[in-house]
Parts: sequence; C-alpha cells; structure tokens
Amino acid sequence: MIYDVTLNIAYDYPAAVKDARHVLRVRPRELDGQSVRTARVTVAPHPDEAGRELDFFGNALDQLLILPEHEALSVAMRARVEVRRALPDLEATPTIADLAAAAAADRETGPTGPMHFLGDSRIARRIDAVSAYARELIDPAAPAGEAVLAFASRMKADFTFAPGATTVDTPLQEAFAKREGVCQDFAHVMIAALRGVGVPAAYVSGFLRTSPPPGRPRLEGADAMHAWVDVWLGPDMGWQGFDPTNGVTVLDDHVVVAIGRDYSDVAPIDGVVLTAGPQKTSHSVDVVPVGERVRKA
Amino acid sequence: MMRPLALEPAPVPRPSTADATLAAADERPAAGLLRGYRPPAGVFDEAVDADGAVRPHYRALIAALAAMDEPERERRFSSAGQYLREAGVYYRIYGGAERGEDARAWPLAQPPLIIAQREWAELAAGLEQRAQLLEKLLGDFYGERRLISDGVLPPALLGRNPEFLRPLADQAASGSPLIRFIAVDLGRGPDGRWWVLGDRTQAPSGSGFALENRVATSRAFPDLIRDLKIQRLAGFFQRFRETLNALDDGRGARVGVLSPGPHNETYFEHAYLARYLGFLLLEGGDLAVHGSSVVVKTVDGAKPIRVLWRRLDADFADPLELHARSRIGTPGLARAVRAGAVEMVNALGSGILETRALLAFQPALARALLGEELRLPTVATWWCGQEAERDYVSKHLERLSIARAFPQTVEEEEHRRPLDLGMRRAPSDRLLDDLANDPASVVGQELVGLSTAPMFVDGRLEPRPVTLRVYLARHANGWSVMPGGFARVASSTDPLAVTMQSGGRSVDVWVTSDRPERPVSLLEATSGFARRLPSAPPARAADNLFWLGRYVERAEAATRLVRLHAARLAEGERRGALEAEVGELLAGIGVDAALGDPAEGLLRRVRAAFETASRIRDRFSPDGWRVLRELVDLIERRLERDETDDLPGLASEVLIRLSGFTGLVRENMYQFTGWRFLQAGRLLERGQLTARLAAALTRDEPPEGALEALLEFADSRITYRRRYSVTLSRETVIDLIVLDPLNPRSIAFQVNGFKTLLDELPGMRRGETPAAVSRRAARLQVRLATADPAELSHLFLARVAADLGDISDLLGEQFFSAAPTARGERPEAE
Repeated sequence: MIYDVTLNIAYDYPAAVKDARHVLRVRPRELDGQSVRTARVTVAPHPDEAGRELDFFGNALDQLLILPEHEALSVAMRARVEVRRALPDLEATPTIADLAAAAAADRETGPTGPMHFLGDSRIARRIDAVSAYARELIDPAAPAGEAVLAFASRMKADFTFAPGATTVDTPLQEAFAKREGVCQDFAHVMIAALRGVGVPAAYVSGFLRTSPPPGRPRLEGADAMHAWVDVWLGPDMGWQGFDPTNGVTVLDDHVVVAIGRDYSDVAPIDGVVLTAGPQKTSHSVDVVPVGERVRKA
Repeated sequence: MMRPLALEPAPVPRPSTADATLAAADERPAAGLLRGYRPPAGVFDEAVDADGAVRPHYRALIAALAAMDEPERERRFSSAGQYLREAGVYYRIYGGAERGEDARAWPLAQPPLIIAQREWAELAAGLEQRAQLLEKLLGDFYGERRLISDGVLPPALLGRNPEFLRPLADQAASGSPLIRFIAVDLGRGPDGRWWVLGDRTQAPSGSGFALENRVATSRAFPDLIRDLKIQRLAGFFQRFRETLNALDDGRGARVGVLSPGPHNETYFEHAYLARYLGFLLLEGGDLAVHGSSVVVKTVDGAKPIRVLWRRLDADFADPLELHARSRIGTPGLARAVRAGAVEMVNALGSGILETRALLAFQPALARALLGEELRLPTVATWWCGQEAERDYVSKHLERLSIARAFPQTVEEEEHRRPLDLGMRRAPSDRLLDDLANDPASVVGQELVGLSTAPMFVDGRLEPRPVTLRVYLARHANGWSVMPGGFARVASSTDPLAVTMQSGGRSVDVWVTSDRPERPVSLLEATSGFARRLPSAPPARAADNLFWLGRYVERAEAATRLVRLHAARLAEGERRGALEAEVGELLAGIGVDAALGDPAEGLLRRVRAAFETASRIRDRFSPDGWRVLRELVDLIERRLERDETDDLPGLASEVLIRLSGFTGLVRENMYQFTGWRFLQAGRLLERGQLTARLAAALTRDEPPEGALEALLEFADSRITYRRRYSVTLSRETVIDLIVLDPLNPRSIAFQVNGFKTLLDELPGMRRGETPAAVSRRAARLQVRLATADPAELSHLFLARVAADLGDISDLLGEQFFSAAPTARGERPEAE
C-alpha cells in the first residue's frame, strides 16, 4: 500500500515569541515493511537554523531555531510512504513466561534491544492496578503473540475511546481508573501492563489511514496523529505492532513515524517559547492511499 | 600530588608546642574533657582506641582543648560561628514545618575530624583507583557498552536506568574523560577499615562547604592547624581551576558554573565556588545555543562559552531532548554537547554512576575495567533483580538497609537531598512493596556500624557517628584527592542516622602532615599578571542588579514616607489631605498604611531587595548581602515582638542600615558594568518616586504642609535653608527638588547621573546611532535643564515620572532581553 500523508500542526501564541527552539519528530521512518519515498517538512516562519539528525532510537529529528518575533508557528509534513508488512504468525511465539526470561537476559544494547523497553520510563510507569489487570488477562503459559493480541482486543472492549476526556498531562493512573482516553492513553496503559509482566513494549507514534476501504468501519483516531504499541516477541520474531485503540495487529493501515519508550521520547513537537497565557493549537492529518489497493500475497 | 605520601618513611616525631602539653594530658586521658566519653561497644572510635587511650594523631588536639578553660573554648568556637554568619553560609532545607522551604545557618560542629597522614595516603590511593574505575565505567556506558554485551553487568542496569541518557548515548566517542570532579561517601566499619558507601558523580555537593568549614575552623584553632601541619585545601582547587581553564581552547570567555538557581539547596555553594574560583555563575536561562556554539547572553550580546562545571541535574539541562517540563534548562544543550561545542564537567548522564545496584558488581567491574582488585572495599550490596539475592534480602531485612537500586528521578523526594550521607535503617512501605513486586528496583545493603568521632555537646566531648565525603578531581594526567573533606556527624548516637535534613551537623576534616606546607592561595598569580576588565555580566545578573538598585531605593523611599506619615500623626496633626496623598503614594509602592501595619509593608519592600540580592550573591560582597539580611531580621523581630508603635524609631534604624548598604556598594564594589546597572536602578527609582511625590504635592492647591513634606522626603531641608533664605515657596522648593543639578536628591541629578552611566554601558559608544533608551534619557535631560520653575506644573512632573518608567523599560529591552536578534530600532512609545 502506498500512501500520501499530510500532517499540519499550527500554534497561535497569545503574544509574540522570539528565539524559539523546537524539535520535530514528524517524518515517517524507514523500517522493515515500510519505505519512505519522499518526505518534506515546511515550517513557517522560515527557521534561522534547521538541522536533521537521527536520535538514539533511529527516529528522524528536525532541530529548528526561529529568531524573529512571531505570533504563530506552522509545521507541514508531506510524505509518500509504501507499507507492506508481512502477516505475523502469532501462534509461533514463545510463551509469555519464556519471553519474559529471554527479554530480561537479552544483551543487545542497540536501539532495538528489549532492555530499553522493560523498566519505567517517564510516563509509562509500573502501577500496581495496571500490573494486576495484566496478570488477570495474560496467561504466562500462552503464546506471547496471541496473548498480546487478545490483551489489545480486551483493552478495546474495556476502554472507551473518548477524545477530550484526557490531555497530554493526564497521569496514566487516571486514564486507567476512568477506563477512557485517547490513543496515547491506550498505548501507555498497554505498555505499562506488558512491562509489568516482563514483556518489552515500545510506544509508536504515526499515522493511520483516514478513509477506510469499502465495507470496513472507520478506524478510531484517524484524523490526528495516532499511537500504538510495539511488542518484542522474542529474538526470532523481534518487534510487532499492536493497536489497542482498535484491537488489531499493525499491518498496512499504520505508518510509523517514531518509536520510543513512551510519548515523551517521540512527541511530534517539543519546544520552548516564553509566552504567557494559553496557546491555541491545532493539528490535522490525512492519509490517502495512492491508486488501487494491491492485495499482498 | 599523585600518591607519593604512601611511599615516605614514617614521620619522625618532632617536638612542638602542642606536643609539649601532650605528655601531661596523656597521663590522665579521662580527666576533664573525656570523662564519660564511651563509644558504643563494637564501634571504632576515631579518637580513642579500644583501651580508652587517645590515639596518637588526636593527642595534640585533645591536649590543647583540655588546656583551655570553657570560656576560651566557647570564644574560639563562636569565632568560627561568627565567620560563617558573616560570610552568609547557609543551605536550604525542604519541608520545614510551616514555611515549606527555609534557609538555615550552617551547622558547624567542633572539633574537626582528624585523619593521620599515613592512613590518609592509603585511603587516597584507594580513592584514586576508584575514580579510575568510575571513569572507565562511564566511558563504557556511553561508548561500546561491552560490560553489558559481555555479561559483566545485567542488562537492566543500563536498560531501565533513568540516568542513562539516550540522546547522549555515544558521547564517550571523543575519548575525553566524562567525569572530572566527583565525590565518594565513606564510612569506617568496626574493623577500622574505610568503606565506600556511595559515589557522587552527578553534581557532588559539599566541597564549597568543606572550604568554608576550613576557613571557619582556622579562626578557632589557628595554632593547632599550624602545629599539626594540617594539609591545605587551596592547592587542590587551584589545580582544578587550572584544569578547567585549560579545557577552554581560547574561544570561550571564562569557565561557567551551571547552577539550578537560588532555590536549590546548595545554591550558596554554587555562588561561593564561582566567586572563589573566578568562574561565571550561570543558570540555564543565561545560556543559548547558537549554530554550533553555546553562548552566554550578556548585556554586551552573546559571548561563547566552552566549559561548564555543572551543578544542575542532567535531566533538567535541556527541555528539548531531556525533561520537557524543565524551566531551568537550555534548549539545544544536548545537541551542543553531541557537536562537541561545550565541555560538561561532569558529562550529562554521569549520574548513572550513582546507581546503587552497581555496588553489587564491584569485583567483576574492577577485573574487567582495571584488571586488578579494588583497594577500597564497598559496602556489601545485593541487587534484588537476581533471584538468589532477592531471597537473601527478603530473609535478612532486619540486618540490611533497603534502598533504591537506581538514581531517583527529579520527581522523587529522595532526589532533593544532596547532602545526605549514610544509610537509613527502616525501609518505607513503598520500598518493601517494590521488593515484592518490582525487586529489580531495590537493593539491600549491609548496615555499616559507623565509627564515632568526638563532638562537643553541652561543653563535653561525646562520641557521634560520622561519615566522610571526599572529593577527587581529574587532571590531565590522572586523579587527585582533596586532602580533607566534608564530614557529617549525627545528632544522635544512632550510627545510621547521619543526615543534614534531620539535624545532623558538619565538621572540618584535618589531614595531618609531617612537614609544613607552603601556603597556596588562589589569589597568587603563577606567571605575571595583566589587569583585565571583568567580562560583561550575564543579562540575568545585570537585570537583578538593576532591580536590586530599584528595590533598595524603593525600600528607602517607603521608609522615609512611613516616617513622614508617622511623625505627622504623632504630632497630633489631623488626617488631612496631605496624609491621604502620602498614604496613596505609599500604597502605590506596596506599603498600604490604611490596610495594616506599615512595618509589614516595609518588610515586604526590604525582602524584595534581599531576595533579589540573594540571586546574585556571587556579584557583590558578603557584607552587602548581610546588611540586607539584618534588615529583614530587624523588622521581623519588631513584628514578632509587636513593638511597631515606634514607627519613626524603626524607620530611622532601617534608614541607617540602608545607608550602610549604599556605602558598601559605593566604597567596595568594583565600579564596572554590574555596578553601573545597580546604580542605574537606584537613580531611576529615586527620580521616579520623587517626581510622583512632587506631582502629588504641587497641585494647584497643595495640601497644608505639602512643601515641608516634600523637602523632608528629599532630605533637603538643610540644603534649602542654606540656598534660599526665604520662607517656603512652591517655586523655590520645586527648583531645589526637581531642577537643581547640584542637589543629589533632585530629579535632574538622577537623570544626569543616569545618562552618564548609560553612556558607559556596552554598545552605547558615542558616535554610534544612539539607542532608544539613550535618546529618551537625553531628551529628558534637556527638558529638565531648560524648564522654568515658575511654569512647572504637576502635569509636567507626572510626565517626568512616566518618562522615567519608559526609560526603565527601554533599558530592559536594550540589555536584559538578550535575544540574539539584531538590536534594531525600537518604536518609541511617545
């Protein structure tokens, strides 16, 4: 599947700001099963400095500096991305117990090493209630792939997708207690739950196709940037995506932008501006398939 | 000073005055001072051996103390205490009963902890080896990470470590040491051996306090320090300063101390060390990243800086790539570090070495990294991420201290105790819960029964548990140890409860020597000298100096008005129009006499000045700061005793102290850019307040007594009588208070003085296009010089007051906003 992806982010400041520094994490990543044909980022006002780097996890960073006074900031990202992921055999995975043991012993120190995704991170922290929820739902003797997919579907059933119920700052406990939130909350709850039973889990930010194929339901969270979870399924299978908001494995509807331990590693835009009062932000996403859908063999 | 001392022959005892008195004391060691001195059973005592005999290196001290009568001891101790008070040594304490956060005077106890030279040499050798181990360990974490991939360390120690900073994961590639100044916490066990309790590598505190302890203690015991040939600390710092200066490749102006700011527990120390070492005291907001360099935002534009001694926790250092919520960091700093633009001492991420779980793998680490055994043992530690260890810890809870395996993140309470040494006996419920549910986050550590050292309690020596923090610095060719340290004594005899927050105290640490040391002072120039002007102050410091000037002047004006107000009421004058005008003016500067005790308003004004001064303690003398603190104390005491009915008396005392501050600033402060901002603040504030008062009191029908009040406020009665031997007239009073360029209280005098200062500020050179602030000030000068007192209305005066407000704003825009944008023309708000 080939998509044309458009992301627009806009900030309106209550008073003019200057000397603003930002980091953007908005460009789709090059990955197995995902190749980026073109990606272009435009920023207004025009940055005085702009640099591109890859972070520890291999995500693309755009570093910006805007010196003159400005009252608004807009970021546009346009990309054409081809996504062809293989259907994973979730049955052929180690048991949860074996997986946890393998993960704890794994010595890969690079960005794909499970060691980075087992402990508390800034937002996704171990919480007793969440760990209990995971222990109740996840059978240590079950094949990990199946158990994780079942957990993701169960989350979709137990939790209400409720835009506006939470904000970026809502603590994980609160979203979990209310059993509602947006894709970010779903992803953080699932990450905390899996790590609580020793399964390495990563936060993925990205895009979801906006227009469903004929006869299929519209997916939740498609009009904004989306978030889901990558789960390590052992040294053989490696990382596989699961989307707890929609209760599915990640196949060709998802376009990966950035992978990290939780939202704080992959926030699409971070920045420091000195300004008083609330700022207005808006953001919109379009993910449109190019041409005809080609059925994968 | 590598480690030659260990190889020297035993020192030959030489007679000295201290030794002469020793024999007598030695015969009856328990007499007097040591009567009843009984260390707990099974504990090593620093001063007395198992048989109760005074150890040789303590004999001179005990003898000398015994030879003093109690008043003399008291006198000596209080001279140390007086030094600390005068120097304004303090630390912040969190969670105080009512105030939440409070600055406490420094709790120095006596006598010092003494360590004999031979023992110290052995300890130092062990510490140097430890520093090498830590340096290599950090190099591996931020380099190849072989210790993990080869299986020397479990993966979780890196993977779930909050101090492993991924944005800097490869920073060791440059090969330069990532740590250059560290501390090691030590305790001495019952067998007499020193044990490592923990490593401090993030931003080790206490070395500045150790220096101050030494200065204070030398006031108390100058003779003993000389006779015992106590090793000096200055050489260590001198070398460290030279090392940091050498790291600067010449592009940077100076070395900076990067501080979290005045709310930090050890801010005093940051300011003290910056002043002592001649470094620039900086906060995150003073810095910016431009292109590939880090710059200091100064009043003279952006100046590059290459070396930062970091006292700010790494997570706060860069809101873009580290903690996004940090408001005290510098956006882009992590990227600048990656680009090699700035040398961080210690590197961002060096806090990973403070991970307690690492103490469970010491022998393996030493073999892997150094190929040798550790000379200095570390406290026995079990990391509960391993099954056997967890079982052991769970079964022996009563014998162990349970603690966090990983460094605490900024949100956690334990994080805010930089001066805590030692261990805790009772684990919290949270820790026990984690031991059951997340064992990898917990370690068990053997409870070390700390040694005791003698400490004066109610005039007698008592044994108190002691811990020792020792400092090491990395020089071009290796590590060296500060010959001394920061020792903490517990307030109780519980050998585990050594913490500053709960009433512990600190003592100086003396390392003896067998030969006198040549005094080294940081003031000595090594090779000639060139007189250099100080570099431009950071914009924030200049801003604070300017506001300090304004606040001090405002406090003075408020005090004069309160005195005026109170005196007239006391003389039985009715509350009339004049009182109303003065009351309104007072309310305008935050002293609302109608609403409450005016003394409370004065306190607020004086506090504003004191707090501003506290933010820039590195920039002026401790005396000036102390005067302001005494002022706060003075008014607080009055309010507590509820003796505020004597307002004129209080006002006079406040005025005398404020003039003391002014005098100190005028006589003692180096009269360069920083001083100019302080003066500019005073002049603008005085001009503006005088203009406002004059406008209020010279309306068409001024209230009764208005002209006298104006003269009184401007302290110009005598001048008036001398210059105009006539009765008061509106015209002559206005002439003197507003226009007379020779009256140091007139508005014209303030404006002229301000303009002169302004012309000396960076970027204000003659011949260049004048900045907006300069043009406005010049125009006001002319207006005042050409005004006719007869035609001068209160509207004119109100306009002058508004002009001075605008000039203050323009000055701020010109110098304090410090954005790197070109300083273009700004629209004039007229």
